[in-house]
Amino acid sequence: MVPVLATILVPFAAAFGLFHSPAQGPNLLPILTCFIVVPVLAAVLIMAAPERYTRWISLVAASLELGIAFKVFCLYDKAAAGFQLTEEVPWLGNLGINYLLGVDGMSVLMVVLVACVYFAGSLISWNVTMRKKEYYVLFSLLVGGVAGAYESLDLFFFFLFYETAVLPMYLLVGIWGSGRKEYAAMKLTLMLLAGSAFMLVGFIAMYFTSGVHTFDIRVLGDLAKTGFDPGFQKLWFPLLFLGFGTISAVFPFHTWSPDGYGSAPTAASMLHAGVLKSLGGYSIIRVALPAFPIGAKYWLPLLVILALINMLYAALVALKQKDFKYVIAYSSVSHCGAILFGICTLQVAGLNGAVIQTLSHGIVAAMTFALVGTVYGKAHTRELSKLGGLSACMPVLGGLFVCAAMANVGLPGLSGFVGEFLIFLGAYKSGFHGGFTIFQVLFPIAILAIVLTAIYYLRLVQIVFYGPLKDPHFKEEVKDGSFIEILPIAFLLVVSLAVGLYPKPFVDMSNTAIAPLVERIGGFK
Amino acid sequence: MIQYGAFLPELFLVITAILVLIVELFQAPGSERKIIRWIAALGTLGALWSASCMGGVCGLSCCPAPVEPLQAFAGFIKADGIAVFFKEIILLATLLTLLISFRYFKARPTPYPSEFLALLLFSAAGASALTSAQEIVTLYIALETLTISSYLLASFMKKDRGSNEAGMKYLLLGAFSSAVLLFGFSYLYGLTGTTVISEMGKALAAQPSSPLLVFAVILVIAGLAFKISLAPFHMWTPDVYEGAPTPVTAFLSVASKTAGFAAFVRIFWVGLAVPTVQPVWLGLFSVLAAMSIILGNLEAIPQSNLKRLMAYSSIAQAGYISTGFLAGDRLGMTAVLFYLFVYLFANLGVFLAIVIVSARTGSEQIEDYAGMWKRSPLIGITLLVCLLSLAGVPPFAGFSGKWYLFSAAISHGYTWLALLGMVFSVVSLYYYLQVSRQCLISDAKDPSSIEVSLLEKIVLVCCIALTVTFGFWPTPLIKAAETAASSLF
Repeated sequence: MVPVLATILVPFAAAFGLFHSPAQGPNLLPILTCFIVVPVLAAVLIMAAPERYTRWISLVAASLELGIAFKVFCLYDKAAAGFQLTEEVPWLGNLGINYLLGVDGMSVLMVVLVACVYFAGSLISWNVTMRKKEYYVLFSLLVGGVAGAYESLDLFFFFLFYETAVLPMYLLVGIWGSGRKEYAAMKLTLMLLAGSAFMLVGFIAMYFTSGVHTFDIRVLGDLAKTGFDPGFQKLWFPLLFLGFGTISAVFPFHTWSPDGYGSAPTAASMLHAGVLKSLGGYSIIRVALPAFPIGAKYWLPLLVILALINMLYAALVALKQKDFKYVIAYSSVSHCGAILFGICTLQVAGLNGAVIQTLSHGIVAAMTFALVGTVYGKAHTRELSKLGGLSACMPVLGGLFVCAAMANVGLPGLSGFVGEFLIFLGAYKSGFHGGFTIFQVLFPIAILAIVLTAIYYLRLVQIVFYGPLKDPHFKEEVKDGSFIEILPIAFLLVVSLAVGLYPKPFVDMSNTAIAPLVERIGGFK
Repeated sequence: MIQYGAFLPELFLVITAILVLIVELFQAPGSERKIIRWIAALGTLGALWSASCMGGVCGLSCCPAPVEPLQAFAGFIKADGIAVFFKEIILLATLLTLLISFRYFKARPTPYPSEFLALLLFSAAGASALTSAQEIVTLYIALETLTISSYLLASFMKKDRGSNEAGMKYLLLGAFSSAVLLFGFSYLYGLTGTTVISEMGKALAAQPSSPLLVFAVILVIAGLAFKISLAPFHMWTPDVYEGAPTPVTAFLSVASKTAGFAAFVRIFWVGLAVPTVQPVWLGLFSVLAAMSIILGNLEAIPQSNLKRLMAYSSIAQAGYISTGFLAGDRLGMTAVLFYLFVYLFANLGVFLAIVIVSARTGSEQIEDYAGMWKRSPLIGITLLVCLLSLAGVPPFAGFSGKWYLFSAAISHGYTWLALLGMVFSVVSLYYYLQVSRQCLISDAKDPSSIEVSLLEKIVLVCCIALTVTFGFWPTPLIKAAETAASSLF
C-alpha cells in the first residue's frame, strides 16, 4: 500500500510543482506537449524496461499526467477566457499546417478527464498477466492519442491524434478482449475510421473553401459570421457530423459501441467509453458548431430526433440485456444521446450541461466499467442469470456499484445530476424558430430516458448484488476487492462527488468557452 | 561536350551490371559467389550517390549541386529536379530489392546469381533513364529496357510454374501494351512533327483539337496505365506479382511503378497540357483512378496469399497516387513524390518481411503469419506499421501522404475522388488488418522463432522508423519534394 501511494503522490506533486503560470516567464517544458509526451514516453520505457517494472512505469506516468492536468486546471485564467497556454511550431508551411496546442475552458475539463481515467485505468490493469508489456504499451499510446486530440487546435493534428488513438484500441480489444473479440475489434475500427473518412475530406474542403488556407480551428471558427456560404455549410455539416457522430456512438452509427465495450478489456472500455467517445460531442462543439452554425441550425431537427432515439432506444435495449457489461455499454450510448441533446439546445445552459455531462459521463462510465471488470474478474461470469447476491461476499464493491449506478441515474450530489439538470434547463429555455418550442414538447420524452436509466440500473443492482447468493461457490471463491482494486474506483467516485457537490468551478470553466460560442452563433433566434 | 553527369546514375548501374557478369566468370562454379552481390550493392549505392549529388541532397563539398539541370544528347536527357527525385526513389527501391533478393536466393539457390543481379541493374538503369528522358523515343527505349529486363526477371525461377506463368503473362500483355503506346507516340509525332516533349506541347497549343489527337491520347494512356497497373489495365498484376520471385515483385511494385508515373508526368503535364485535349485526359484519368481505387481494394479483400494481396493493394495505391497527379500543380506533384517515397519504404518493408518469413515457412499464405508476435516480433511490427501506412492510418507516413494527395485533388475540384479514396482506404484497412490480426492476435501453429539477420533487422527498423517519422514530421521530405516539383511546375 505504501509503495503504491508513494508512486502516486511523488510524481503527482513533482508534475504539479514543475510548471508555473506563463505570466511568470516561460516554463522549463511546454506543459501541453508534456501531457501528450508523458504517456508516449511511458510506452517507450515500458518497451525497453524489464516486465516487472511495467505497471510501475505506467503508474508513475499516470500520476505525472494527473499532476499536469490539475496544474492546467489551476493555471487556466477563467477571467481571460479564450485559448491559453498555446504552443505553436510551424509544421508544413505549404499547406498551412502548424503544430498548435492550446486549451480553453472546455478542453481543460477534458484534459482533467483524460488524466483521471488514465490514472484509474492504469491501476485497474494492475493484475493483467497476459502479454503485459504490450498491453501497457498500447494502453499508454491510446492515452497519448486522446490527450493530443483534446489539445490540438489544428485540424491535421486533431485528426492525426484521434486516429492514433483508435489503432491501439483495435489491438487491445482483439488481443485482450473477451467474447467475439476479433469481430468486435474489427467492427469498432472500421466504423470509427469510416466516419473519420468523411471528417478528413470535410476538413480539407474547409481549408480550401475558407480562403484563408489554414487548419487552425480558432481561425476557422471565427469565420463563422461571414466565412462559409450557407450552401457549403448545409452540405458539409452532415458529413462532419457523420464522423463526429460515429465517434460518440450516435444512433444509427452506434453499433460498434456495445460490441466494442462488451469485448474490450476493462481499462480499454474505461478509456474508450470515458474519453475517446466524448471526443465526438467535444468536436461538434469545437469544430462543427463554430464553423458551420447555419448548417447546424438547418440540420438541427434531425439531430434532436437522433439524440432522442439515442437516449430512449439505448435505454430500452439496456433493459433487455443478459450480459452485465452490455447493460453498461448501452447505458453509455444512452448518456451520449443526452450530450447530443444538450448540444442541440444551442443555449448556454444546455451546452454547458453537455460539457459537464461529457466530463461526468467519462468519470462515471469509467467507474462503472471498472466495477464490472473487477466483478467479472472475480465471479468469472457476466451473465446476469448466473450472478446474484454478490454483495454478501463483496460488500465494498457492491456499495461502490450502488454509488456508480446512482451517478449514472443522476442522483443529486453526484456528477450526473449537474450535467443532466443543465441540459434539461437548456432544453426548457430553448425555443425553436420562434413560436414552436420543439424542446418543450420533447422534454418529457427525454425525461423518460432518465426514468428508464433508473429502472435498468436498479434492476442491475438488484440482480447482481442483492438477493440470495445465486451460486454457493461464490461464498468461498469470491473475495471483496483488494486495496489496489478499490483505489481507482474510489478515486473516480471522489471526482464524481466533487463535481456533483461543488459544480461551480467546473461549470464556470466550461462557461468560459461556451458563452462566447453561443453569443457568436446566436442561439436560435 | 557531353555532360556525363546527366546520366551518371545509369552509367553506374550499367557498368556495375557488366562488371557483375564478368566477375562471375572468375568465380568457382558452385561457390557462394558473395562478392558479386556486394559489387551490385556498391554499384547501386554509387548510382544513388550520384543521383543525390545531382539533387544537391548529398551536401558534400566535393560535389556541389548543379545550378542548371545537367543535360546530354542535345537535351534529350535532362536530369531536372523532379527526375532526380524519381531516380532516388527508384535507386533506393533497387537497393532494397537487392537486399530482399539475398535472402530469397539463400532459401532457393539459383545457378545464375549474376544474371539476376545484372538484369535487375539493367532494368533499374532503364527506369532511371526514363525519368530524365525529354523525348519520346528516348523515353520509349528506356521504358523497354526496364520492361524487357522485367519480363526475364519475372520468369527467373525456371523450374517454378508460377514464375513461368508470370513471365509469360507479363511478356504477352506487356509487349501488347508497349505496342499500343508506341502506336500512340507515332500519332503524336505525326501531329506535331517532333519527338521532343516540350516542343510537342508548343506545337499542340497552336493547333485545334482533332479526333486523331484524342485517339493518340487514349492510346498513350492505355499503354502507360498498364505499366503502373491502373484499372482496367491491371489484369496482369495479381498473377505476375504472385508468381514472380518476391524480389522481382518488390521491384515491380515500386521502381517500375515510379518510372511509369515519371513517364505520365513528363508526357502529359509537359507535352499534352494544352487546353484542347487536357480535359479529355484529365477526365479519363480520373475515371481510371477511381476504378483502380474501387477494384483494387475490393478485389484485395478475399485474397489469402499475401503477395497477391499486395498486388491488389498496389493497384489501389496507384489509384491514390493518380489523384495527386490529376491536380498537376506544385502541391499535387509534391504529394505524388512524397507519397511514392513513403510508399517505397512501406511496400518494401512488407516484401522484406514476406521473404524472411517464406524462407522459413515456405509459404506466402496469410494464415501462416499467425503468431508472428511470438515468432518474430520485429516482423510482426513491421507488417503492422507498413500495412497501416499503406492504409493511410495515422501516425504513419501514408497518412500525411494521403492528406497531401487528397488536398491536391480537392483543391482542383476532385472532392468526389478524395471522398472515394478515403472511403476505400477504410475498406483497405479491413484486409490490411486481417494480416495484422494473424500476426499480432492469433496464436501460431508452429511457435518456433524466425531468425532475422542483423542487416535485415537494421533495414526493417529503418522502414519502421522512417514510416513513423514521416507520419509525424513529414516537413523535411515535403520540402525536398516541393523543391523537386518546382522544377516542372
